[in-house]
Order: sequence, then structure tokens, then C-alpha cells
Amino acid sequence: MPATTSRSTIFAFLGPAVISLAVIGIVPLLYAFYTSLYFFNLTKLKNARFIWFENYGSVLTDPVFWEAMGRTFRLLLISLPLQIALGLVIALVLHRPGLGFLRVLTRLSLVLPMATTYAVVGLLGQVMFNQKFGVVNQLIGFLGVEPVNWIGDPFNAFAMIIFLDVWQWTPFVALVLLAGLTTVPGEVEEAARLETKNWWTILRHVQLPFLMPGLVAILILRTADTLKLFDMVFTLTRGGPGSSTELISLMIQRVGFRAFDQGVASAQAIILLIITIILAQLYIKLLYKEV
Amino acid sequence: MKIKTCVSAIALTTGLALGTAQASEWTLEKAAEPYAGTIVDVVFLLRPGYEAAEAMLPDFEARTGIKVNIVKHPYENALGQQVLDFVADGDFDIALIDLVWIGNFAENDWIVPVSKFTSNPDLADPELDMDDFFPLVLNAFGGWNGEVYGLPFDNYSGLMFYNDCMLKDAGFDGPPKTWSELKDVYGPALTKDGKYAFALQSKRNETQSADSFARMLWPFGGSFLDEDFRSNLLSKESQAGLNFRQDLMQYMPDGIVSYDHAETVNAFAQGDVAMITEWSAFYSSLKNPETSKVVDCMKIAPEPMGPAGRKPALGGFSLAVASQADEDEQAAAWLFIQWVTSKANALEYLERGGVPARRSVYAQDGIAEKFDFVPALVESWQDGVPEFRPRFAEWPEITEIVQEWGTKIMLGDVTTEEGARILGERMEAVLEEAGYYSGDKPLAQ
Repeated sequence: MPATTSRSTIFAFLGPAVISLAVIGIVPLLYAFYTSLYFFNLTKLKNARFIWFENYGSVLTDPVFWEAMGRTFRLLLISLPLQIALGLVIALVLHRPGLGFLRVLTRLSLVLPMATTYAVVGLLGQVMFNQKFGVVNQLIGFLGVEPVNWIGDPFNAFAMIIFLDVWQWTPFVALVLLAGLTTVPGEVEEAARLETKNWWTILRHVQLPFLMPGLVAILILRTADTLKLFDMVFTLTRGGPGSSTELISLMIQRVGFRAFDQGVASAQAIILLIITIILAQLYIKLLYKEV
Repeated sequence: MKIKTCVSAIALTTGLALGTAQASEWTLEKAAEPYAGTIVDVVFLLRPGYEAAEAMLPDFEARTGIKVNIVKHPYENALGQQVLDFVADGDFDIALIDLVWIGNFAENDWIVPVSKFTSNPDLADPELDMDDFFPLVLNAFGGWNGEVYGLPFDNYSGLMFYNDCMLKDAGFDGPPKTWSELKDVYGPALTKDGKYAFALQSKRNETQSADSFARMLWPFGGSFLDEDFRSNLLSKESQAGLNFRQDLMQYMPDGIVSYDHAETVNAFAQGDVAMITEWSAFYSSLKNPETSKVVDCMKIAPEPMGPAGRKPALGGFSLAVASQADEDEQAAAWLFIQWVTSKANALEYLERGGVPARRSVYAQDGIAEKFDFVPALVESWQDGVPEFRPRFAEWPEITEIVQEWGTKIMLGDVTTEEGARILGERMEAVLEEAGYYSGDKPLAQ
């Protein structure tokens, strides 16, 4: 390899990726920011006008926006720890030696929920949790439990969304953590097991440092995914009953494409983006350490 | 507004008069000759009336050489898809307009008044006969500010579908005449053994606004707005209607706030609910033994009356020519709209599961006997309120507010009074921004 690389070679290799990223990611973002500074309602384009940061003011003082934001964070704070706890248990079980073919089979089956489209998960949920015909009520009926109104009750509907989110994304967490566990040097782990039989001590002092990069990636990806979770909830409850499952992404879609107020919806989206970036930076600062 | 109406009427009359003179010469084939090969794009919904029209379409295409390209969407997506298309100067040549979208589409100049075509003797069918449309339906579905834009295509009125067998078993000879009777007499008698007297579709979408909230306002004398366009939701009458809805919920299935049309029609079709108030458009699926267990027990009546009269739910769609289409596409689009809503095709449309708005077809011998929803439908179209839901351009914003707070009221998150107060304040804020209170916009709904 030559000591120096010409500018044209660098551009040839990096250019397509940078240009694609700019066109696909940055241009729409800039346009959203531009739109957020306008009164821009698709059904009132004749009244479109530059209004500086008025949309941001109205979003930040809108209790409905903060209610939706609170709901989204409630989902994040409940489902993400559950996913990490369950994913860690699965990863530790699969990391044990001697499982053979069962390990391969489990790894393959873990991919299935992740590979299922969000919208399909929502539609499956609609069928499975239907009060009258759903398989879930039929199963609990065998235990003598009365049919539960899953979709029509605000509390149950939110619980259902947590359940489906945990079902779909725990395997992802498990696989990432399992990959992290395989990076622990065998001799170190073996030495630790000779020192102590306490699994928690081994996890805490030997395995966890190797899991941290994966864990930070999980936190960033799952936080971003949860904050923008849309398809599954839209197909399952459409934000209802009432506003009980109206997450922030559903609210943005409602304002932008059902009330057609693109200016306010863009401002909401930009605020959400800022919150997501701040959280990602916090995760990296507080948790990420090179092993 | 009056001048516009006058001009429109003159244009229409002139057009029809010219057309009459050429009645002997005008044929669809001849009118379509210059437009053979033209493709017109239109949004259809996934509902029986659209399947009926689609089944009839090959005849139109064979006779005219015009190709109709149907883009199917569920109702909830139809407005968004069309707005995006019209804003972007897209492909749709025909607008499918729910009655609450007409003000929006007309004020944005996305649709063309029918007078442009009815005044053109090459395009106007001498048999068009605008007077044959039910006046309420033509005015509500296709008219805005004194101008006719769309011809009624997929036409609904709220009807009461009831399970006569369940009612007879409970000792009733017929359906309730009034909402109070439904709640106080039929409700307790029919709600037992896992069955319910009534189901009112109330899901948080347009169903909440149109089928649930508005349905309980009007028969009790309430309304969304008073004559000054201020909220009328805190009036004694509106509150009576909303409180009645809360009381009635005890005779509805659990989770009624998550019931859309499909769940409600299905609950009735499975025999789990004795009565529903649903759109006439669902008649064909309830009458189909493949989708309904209650075909032999089902009977139909007009919606019950409240203290202010019947005031049944009114909804439906018109088809209008899109202004973004070029001249040839506009002409071809008009020929299709005129054909599919024509008197000549009304019977076939009805027999295939559609609900035409032509008076003449319902006056034919044997129709009322063959389609037992007809008498109730015709009666409902005499008593309807065009502004059942305001049809102005601000409705998409206001319906979102109604959906949110209407559902919260039903769930008991707020009282009817508190919910109506907040809803009214937000509704007025939208109308203020639009310029109704400053006099920038006429108080038309």
C-alpha cells in the first residue's frame, strides 16, 4: 500500500457513501428543519408563511405533545430493561458449553421475531389478542380466566404493546450479548471459574466488561427504535383507545398526515431527533469504555 | 354565494338544454371517441360500492376505449393520499370526495365544477338529469358554496340494522322508535348471556367523529357549532346527547371505543349484538350468508328519533374531476363519472352491491321488496342534515380533536362537560386561525 493516497482515490472510495448519506439522510432533515420554520399546512398552502420558531413554541407548550412523549418514555423505561434482562439470561444460557444442536436451533429461532415486519407484528397482535376470537383469550380460558379486553382497555392495550416489543426485540439483545460473551478470552473465563463458583462474580468482573460495547450499542439502537416506534402500534391500536397508546411517532404522523400540518409535525420531529441524539451521547459518555 | 349559485344554475340549465337538443345524437361511444386511449386515475375504497363499480367497468372501457386505473386505499388513507397527490400536482384525474372533504378540495381548487362539462354538449349526456339525484345527497356530497363539483357515487345514510329474532325472543314486535326507548326498554331486555342490545362503532378515527359523536348530538338538538360558528358543545342539547351516549354504553360490548365498522358489523353478523346503527353501504355484506349468520333475522329501520327528530347520520362520497388533469383527461374523467352515476346504470350498481343516489331507481316496482333497506334509506335522505359534520376545509383538523376528546369522554378520562369544553376551545382556535371570526371567511359549513 502506498504511503500517501491521492485525493481522487479517497473521493472515489468515500464519495458515493457520503453523497448517498447526504441525499438520503441530510437533505430531508434540512428540509424538515426548513419546513418547521413555516406555517405549512398542506390543505392551506395559500397561507404558507415564514414564522420563525413559532411552531417550536407551540409544540413545547402543547400538553398533548408531552403526554405522548411521556408515554413513549414509559414504554422505553419498561420494555428496554426487560429486553436486556431476558436477553442476558438467554445469552448466558446459550453461552454454556454442551448444548450442541439445540444452541444452533435456538439461535435460528431467535432471528424469526426480528425478521418479522413491524406492521405484521401489529396485525398478528390484533388477531391474537382479539377479545372474542383471539388465541390468547382462548389459552387463558383453558385456565379458567375470563376473556380479557386487550385492545379496548387503555391499560391492557399499553401492556400489549410492551409485550409485543419485548417479544420482537429480546432476541436481538440476546444475540448481541451472546456475540459479546464469545469475545471473552477462554483462558480468562476458565481461570475465573476455577477461582469462584459464583456466576454473578464472573458476570460482573469478567464478562460484563466485554459486554459493555454491545450493551451500549443495544441501548442506542433500541432507544432510537423505541422513540420512533410506529408501524406496530399503528396497525395494532392506531394510538387508541383514546390516547393510551399514542406514542410520539404516531402523534407526528397524525399531525403531519391527518391534520396535514407539516410545519408543526416537522418541529415535533426535530425536537424528537434532538432528544434522541442527547440520549445517545449520554449513553456513550456514561457507559462506553474500551475493553 | 347567490350570484355563484345563479351562474352555476344557468350554466347547468344551458348545458342541459343544449344537450336535450342533441339528445338523439349523443352517445357515450361518440362522446368518448377523441379520448380513446386516455388513462384516468382514481382512488377507490375497499368497500362494496367500489367493488360494484369495478365489476361494471369493463363495459365502460369497451365502449369508450378510456382506461380507468383504480388505486385502492382503505378509507383512513384515502384523504392523505389524495392531498399529497394534489399538492404535488400528481396523477389523479378524479377526486373521490367524502362529504366532509368537499370544502377542503373546493377551496384549494383541486376539483372542477361540473358546469364546465354540463355546459359542453359534446360531453354532457342529455340523460344526465341532475334533478334525479336526491337533493340532500347532491348538495351535501357534491356541492360547496353554491357550486356543484361532484356527483354522488357511494352514498350512505345511517340505518338501524336489527336482529328481529333476538327482539322477538325478548318480546318486542319491532325496533325502538326513539333513542330513549332503545336505552331504557330494549337495552336491559337484550343485554344478557354475553349478548348486547346495541353496539355503537366508536374507534378513534373518523368513526368516532361521524358514527359516534355526531350521531348523538343531532337527534338531541345539539350541534358542533352555533350560528356564529362558536362551539355549541356545552349547550343543554349537546350535553344531553353526549351524556346519553355515556349511559347507553352499559348496553354495548366492552371495549366499544376500539370498535370500528368491521368489528361492529361483525358483532351483529355473528348474532352477538341485537341492534346497530350503520351505514347503508354495509347492507350487502350483512345480507351475504358467507359473511353473516343473521341473514334471515336481519331487518332494517330508520335510525331512532331523539327529542329533535330523527337527524340520522349522513355520509358518502362523490366523484369530481381533478383540476390537475389535462383537458383530455378531464373530459375522459367526466365521461366516466357521468356514466357510473347515471340513471341508466343505477339498477345494475344497486344489484351489484352499490347504493346509488338516483331517485328514479328506488321508485321502480319491486325494488323496495328486493332491497329491504330502501324504504328506510329513502326516508333517511329526507330527514338528513347536510352539516351533520361541518364540511369546511378545517374539518381534517377538527375531526382529530373530536376523535381525541370524544374517546376520552367515552373512556371516562374526562366528564362530558369538561371534554366538550376543551374540545370546543380547540375547535374555536382552529376556526380563529382560519379567519372565520375576523370575517375573512364566510360562515359556510
